[in-house]
Amino acid sequence: MKFKFSAALSAVAAGVLLLSACAGQDSSSPAATGSSEASDSGASAVSTDSVGGKLVILSGNVGGKTPEGNEKFAKALGDKLGLDVTLDKPASDYDQKVLTALGSGAKYDLIEVSDLAKLNAFISQGVVTDVTDFVQNSPVLSDPSVIPTAEWDQLKGKDGKIYGVFSKFQGATMPIVRKDWLNKLNLQEPKTLDELYDVLKAFKEDDPDGNGKADTYGLSTSGLYDIQGIMSAAGLKYRYVIKDGKRTIPYASDAAIPMYEWFAKLVKEGIMDPNFVTNDTAKMRNLFLSDRVGMITYWDAWVGMFNNLKKQEDPNTTFQAEGMASIPAADGAILMRRGDPDFWIIPKNAPHPEAAKKFLEFWQTQDGILLGSLGVEGYDYTVDNGVYTLTDTGKQANMDHGVPFWYNSNVKSPFPALPGVEDAMALSKKYATLELSLPTWPDAEKIVTNYALKAMSGQMPAKDAVAQMQKELKDANLIDE
Amino acid sequence: MKTLKKYGPFYLLMLPVAIYFILFSYYPLVKGLQTSFQDYKLMGARPYVGFANYETVGHDPTFWNAFWNTLIIGGGIWIGGFFAPLIVALSLNEVLHRPFKKAAQLILYVPHLLSWVVIGGVCIFLLSPDTGFVNLLLGKLLGLKPINFLAEDSWARGIMIGSAVWKDMGYNCILFLAGIVAINPSLYEAARMDGATRWQQLLYVTLPQLANTMKVILLLNTLGILRIFDQIFVMRNPAIAGKVDVLMMYTFQKGIMEIRIGPAAAASFYVVLLTLLLTVAVRKMTRFDEV
Repeated sequence: MKFKFSAALSAVAAGVLLLSACAGQDSSSPAATGSSEASDSGASAVSTDSVGGKLVILSGNVGGKTPEGNEKFAKALGDKLGLDVTLDKPASDYDQKVLTALGSGAKYDLIEVSDLAKLNAFISQGVVTDVTDFVQNSPVLSDPSVIPTAEWDQLKGKDGKIYGVFSKFQGATMPIVRKDWLNKLNLQEPKTLDELYDVLKAFKEDDPDGNGKADTYGLSTSGLYDIQGIMSAAGLKYRYVIKDGKRTIPYASDAAIPMYEWFAKLVKEGIMDPNFVTNDTAKMRNLFLSDRVGMITYWDAWVGMFNNLKKQEDPNTTFQAEGMASIPAADGAILMRRGDPDFWIIPKNAPHPEAAKKFLEFWQTQDGILLGSLGVEGYDYTVDNGVYTLTDTGKQANMDHGVPFWYNSNVKSPFPALPGVEDAMALSKKYATLELSLPTWPDAEKIVTNYALKAMSGQMPAKDAVAQMQKELKDANLIDE
Repeated sequence: MKTLKKYGPFYLLMLPVAIYFILFSYYPLVKGLQTSFQDYKLMGARPYVGFANYETVGHDPTFWNAFWNTLIIGGGIWIGGFFAPLIVALSLNEVLHRPFKKAAQLILYVPHLLSWVVIGGVCIFLLSPDTGFVNLLLGKLLGLKPINFLAEDSWARGIMIGSAVWKDMGYNCILFLAGIVAINPSLYEAARMDGATRWQQLLYVTLPQLANTMKVILLLNTLGILRIFDQIFVMRNPAIAGKVDVLMMYTFQKGIMEIRIGPAAAASFYVVLLTLLLTVAVRKMTRFDEV
């Protein structure tokens, strides 16, 4: 009996495995068919009136802010495209959701990605459709006024082919300073490392919030990439820099030692928020918004959002955030960090690649940009005789439904830009450059951040930290010199 | 056939549970094992590569660093997670004031009900160098300078062990208390008649009678040693990563962050294998089968 029962169980198990194996086969076979379908589909731009059918999207940022808002967003998108749109926008753990979806053979027509290292990984995993022909033949996407031609280089694989289409314009991170505190303390925007130290010290010691308590910090950060605006003073770019064909990491070079010592001095004197090692960006933002810190390093778009949030909270607020350029190096060069772009990929197993392409063109048009920024008409905003008005829901969304900024220079927002953001964006456009992230960066990053944070927080002399960094990076063959 | 007829309904009752485990435990296990032998791509062909993924992981110093971290942190939690609730349970057993005893049990148990996201957030807040309660207390009472507990190597593992032991202390404490309640009162009565003091009753009656409960708790704790993840994921930061990143964190980073599914699957099978070995060792050591 025991044997029979075991046999029955085994049979069930085997059946399940067989079925699952079949499912696995099924999930991988469309990859092949999808591939051929997608690869030859770029010969011409998509006809906007011939696609019809369904469109299934997996998105991290694009969409409504609530489940209800997301439903309305998908409906509005579907109406505009003439498609039955399903918009899957997970509330959290987006990267895991994407990986699970791709690994399990779930079929999406479009997936939003915001990490170039991930794009390269997906290309090498055989996941992404080549959209070069489609982009080059599309009257919308090939128009330099819609997307500047040079920008496409970001989305090219090693083979020179284009594997994604931008979902928005990505800005840069920069030092964001309390301009009202500068004014109150009669200080100028710092242009050198010494001036920056003086300003931060004044923010700490001169009671800039006027509450009579020594409860403010000069500077707070979250993560090492955020300090690019200050490391610029030594001409140091984050991640990899190729020098004479050799892989180098400037943050692990001897030139970084005085910079780490500078930070350690700030920490020792209580000028820097001591929680900078454990801060996440939300904590850092809250510290800035609650008058606890005079300077943070964060995205340009947030300059406007900070000012807007405080204005909504109190129309008479004196709060004024301002983006500033990185501290220039001795040769005058200013280094700023441009973020990886947000972009769409068409997975090779996409069931409706033509519908996806229809969307990709639509997304760069006036209607697409309005939907991605303002949101859904009648829900996020209303239009009366050509006058746009944000609803309360729309105000909370801060004109960001995945596209706070866009490439298309022909499309103007019906609302003025949030205060301070245009100046910040101008700096980004002028100075910000992408970082070079090689496949070995995840391993190198652990070593660099570990010792850099130890040096900055004063746990370890900067010289020793950099020496240890260099030794471990070389031992693990993560740098060449 | 007769037996099948006799016990058929019971087998039928077992079926949903069996199906559940087959679908959600054994199938992923088998699938994971298969993946660990493949050059696993998210789409397309997935050729078998023998033990290449196991070799990759075995030659990765990060894996061995995570392995030692796991043994140290897991070992600390294993020991602390056994003795701390035992001491608390024995102490609570001596408390005669019933409302206090119940309130203490409740307070001890509550952290077990909360997720690591909450507990981790509380710990980060309490241990903050500027506004954290712990540093404020140390400053006021002992005049100590603020310590950045969650950013210093020397504290990192201790904080992880301490917070994990604290979180689950209530749960294991209840198991011990249940064991204590089940001890035959006549044993205490006999001991008292023989002139045993309270300390001697504890040593010669309570502890020996709790042996079986101790074995179960030891075994349950052993099963969890190598699977620590949530806590580390929430409480780690780059400054202490080298001291607290454990095997499951390594698996997560390889699989999810770097999309190297094959090595991630191989690493997780090392964890399965090691857990199996540890469990067998603990069973042998505690003579678990003699329970």
